[in-house]
Amino acid sequence: MKRWWIWMIAGLLPLQALALSGEEVMKKSQAAFLYPGKDFKARVVMKLINKDGQERVRELTMLRKNVGEAGGEQKYFMYFFQPADVKDMTFMTYKYPAKDDDRWMFIPAVNMVKRIAAQDKRSSFVGSDFTYEDVSGRDLEDDTHAVEREEKIGNRDCIVVKSTPKGTDADFGSKLTWVDKENFLPLKEEQYDRKGARYKLFTADEMADIQSIPTVVKRSMKNLQTGHRTEVAYLKTGYNLGIEDSLFSERFLRQPPRKWVD
Amino acid sequence: MLLLAGLLTLLFLTQFPKIRTDTNPKHMLPDTSDVRVWNDEVDKAFALYEDTIVVGVENAAGVLNRETLGRIARITDGILALPGVASRDVNSFTTITNVTADAGTLKVGPLMPAAPKTDAEVEALRAALFGNTLFVNRVISKDGKTTAIYVPLEKGANGAEVADKIREIVAKEKGPERYYIAGDPVARDTFGAEMFKLMAMFSPIAGMIMFAAIQYMFRNLALSAAMMGVSMVAIIWSMGLLIGAGFPVHIMSSMAPVFLMAIATDSIHIFNEFYFRYKERGDKLAAIRETMAAVSRPVRYTALATAAGFAVLLFMNIIPVQVFGGLIAFGTVVLRLLSFSFISAVLTFVREDRIARAAGSETVDGDRTAQALGRLGAFGAARPGITVAVTLALAAVSVWGTSKIHVNNNMVAWFKASSEIRVADTAMNQALGGTSLGYLVVQSKEPEFMKRPEAMRWIEGLQRHLEALPEVGKTFSVADYVKRINRILHDDDAKYDAVPETKDTVGQYLFLFSMSAKPSDLDSVVDPVFGKANIWVQMKTWDAEAMRQVIAAAERYQKVNPLPVTVKPAGIAYFNLVWNDEVLGDLVLGFSLALVVVFAILALDFRSLKWALIAYAPLLFTILFIYGVVGFVGKDFDMPLSVMSTLSLGMAVDFAIHFVSRLRQRLAETGDADLPGALVWTAARPGKGIMRNAVLFAAAFSVMMFAPLTPYVVVGAFIVSMMLLSALLTMLLIPALVMLGRRWLFA
Repeated sequence: MKRWWIWMIAGLLPLQALALSGEEVMKKSQAAFLYPGKDFKARVVMKLINKDGQERVRELTMLRKNVGEAGGEQKYFMYFFQPADVKDMTFMTYKYPAKDDDRWMFIPAVNMVKRIAAQDKRSSFVGSDFTYEDVSGRDLEDDTHAVEREEKIGNRDCIVVKSTPKGTDADFGSKLTWVDKENFLPLKEEQYDRKGARYKLFTADEMADIQSIPTVVKRSMKNLQTGHRTEVAYLKTGYNLGIEDSLFSERFLRQPPRKWVD
Repeated sequence: MLLLAGLLTLLFLTQFPKIRTDTNPKHMLPDTSDVRVWNDEVDKAFALYEDTIVVGVENAAGVLNRETLGRIARITDGILALPGVASRDVNSFTTITNVTADAGTLKVGPLMPAAPKTDAEVEALRAALFGNTLFVNRVISKDGKTTAIYVPLEKGANGAEVADKIREIVAKEKGPERYYIAGDPVARDTFGAEMFKLMAMFSPIAGMIMFAAIQYMFRNLALSAAMMGVSMVAIIWSMGLLIGAGFPVHIMSSMAPVFLMAIATDSIHIFNEFYFRYKERGDKLAAIRETMAAVSRPVRYTALATAAGFAVLLFMNIIPVQVFGGLIAFGTVVLRLLSFSFISAVLTFVREDRIARAAGSETVDGDRTAQALGRLGAFGAARPGITVAVTLALAAVSVWGTSKIHVNNNMVAWFKASSEIRVADTAMNQALGGTSLGYLVVQSKEPEFMKRPEAMRWIEGLQRHLEALPEVGKTFSVADYVKRINRILHDDDAKYDAVPETKDTVGQYLFLFSMSAKPSDLDSVVDPVFGKANIWVQMKTWDAEAMRQVIAAAERYQKVNPLPVTVKPAGIAYFNLVWNDEVLGDLVLGFSLALVVVFAILALDFRSLKWALIAYAPLLFTILFIYGVVGFVGKDFDMPLSVMSTLSLGMAVDFAIHFVSRLRQRLAETGDADLPGALVWTAARPGKGIMRNAVLFAAAFSVMMFAPLTPYVVVGAFIVSMMLLSALLTMLLIPALVMLGRRWLFA
């Protein structure tokens, strides 16, 4: 049989269909990482650490509410405690898939709510090494995703997915994500810049089951080119708390209710 | 013996492939020096880049049109993809952070995310550029004809490679624009290339000229070859030692081959005397013996003086100068050892008939040069009063000229005015805020202090105060960002182009800014805890004086407006200033040391303080005259010149040593009776050797006057004039002084 190899590939096909595609892995991962529960609350402590170990702290309460299904619209509300001079500042985002987010900020010192343009999702979130996209997710449609291989991280089996941006808007050229095979949380992510050099490294440093939902409670992002890194801890976490939709409004930006921000 | 020398030479030669050049001006001072430690600290505190290439784009019709902007966008994209470039912090129209308000929405993001497609977009960009003080004179010239792309380099990146790649990128664009590639890394690499040129091209040319000159003077190939061979071996040994010991070749040491070749010409005195003696005696071996007896002492002492003059440099603070001093001192010793053993050996091998023919004209009576020199000496001896009076008058004028000397190191000015780097620098300085960058670091002991409105306003006031200086083209600081945000939040109302009233407002504005800006935008102007602020000061000249003015202005400002902060200068412009002052300090120290050492050697050689003083005179007047000229011409007194003056003492004294030694030998042989006769004889006979030596020396260095870097040109001109002048003064002034002081001398 001259064309034996066609049969061989045909023989492999069913196996391929059983395995998840890159897109599917990333979709499941996004759902597990950014969308669990109807809503979510955490006290977030971010440490911004420069090459010499000098630390700056950002502390905030983050509230998230899903409007629809995983991968759909979300609303975020953030209330800042630290640094001291930004206490009472609040920040709100309406996140839409496949469309620019809406963002507002309340600046207490001048008692002003300002809409903030969101055209640059790759800019740094409050001066940390996380971008807005790293915090609230990047549209899956912006990249192509391909399963590279399977690999263990510690004792966890992972699927390694390579994502490559379709356009040129990203500051990275490609990234590899290690997705836990069991709970689909991303355990590690390596971003490469457009020159192909290692750029940023994300690691999920500590997991916990919160209301039996596996949650990354400690994470860090390191810029491998500048040596700057950011460590994030989620404290006082809770899911499905019944956060009202009305909270995500200009009125509450100016005067956030105590019960939600503390 | 010869075999050993050959083996050693081979050994040193094997070191040559390891050669590296160091053209980083920072390395002029040790890395433990205060200024370098402090500059490193500042770089760290504000996450600054050590090296930035600046690409200027100029369009006589203005850069704000769709075509040019499209090119700028493409060029920037190309640059961002280059290895070695710190892409995240490249500042160009497409990447620099802008703060604007659009229909009530605050926008912090790149100024021009993509090239405009319509003329309306171009006009919007124009408005954004000229409406923001952070941009004018930084990324856009006031006339709109020039923009700049700032390309910071990662640590350890190869600046020359990146610059070449940028040249390739801009070469692809066909259009009316002109491109300038400037910045420290480019200057350094151009410098390195020129240094190699000097060593690889100018040194051999100098060698050939000397060879031809020696051949013309002595008409014997074996002798000329011997002399050149000796100098080659000395060069190979010293350069091999330098490279093998791991030292990089620096601006100073790149001149070493020419120096060693020139110093080797001291052996001329051996030949000179030998030819005279041979002519007198007709017996070669006897002539050699007598020659060595007559000449060896002065030659030994002149070598000692030269080596000592260079060894003095070891006490300097500037590293390349130390290395250079050690290198030449070593080379001089090698030269002397070789010429004593090797040259006299060659003399014995040379066939007698050849020498007889070549030495045919070597008599004091039959030689025109010797006669002319003799007349010169005779004039000095016959009219000592006039000679000394004229010299003193000239000296007085020179002292006046010396007072006009201006110490300055401007490294960009080391390149010729037509060089790519100078053209780029001049164009950029005319169009934009200035290529010379200094920092003023405002420090408080209290964290968060810089967020206080009074601190912000103080910084802002200091900026305005500095910008009043003609040398300062642009300043920027954290206050500029705060003012910008205040204004934009209040609907771009010019009334709010000011520092807000409370510390919290400042803090919140900066927080807001940091939510979208590049991290480096804030990091480069404040430290993480807001205890320090960094004011960027762009100057339009690399003259060290400009930074001195800035520092003085900051001090005045602080006196009038007291605030509990300290202001410390930093950056490359400040480094240049410190280094400049070190040069001056070194000059004074080195010059005094050399004066003492040379006098001590003279006194030791002559065993007489009186004779030492006489021999000292031509040297002093030569230096004085040259300094006078430097002062009158208005040439900056920079590092190469200051090193030259120290060295020149050790080299220029050679002639006087020969003259006085031989004069006293002559007097001892013929008795003291005919002093004028002895003076004329010395001027004519050893004098011819002196003149030959001076001419050869000058010939070697004259090549450097055609070098592409001005320090080489200056050094060339300095040595040529010094050699000729000191030879002349030796022949003229010493006879005059000896005649005037004969009672005192022979008492």
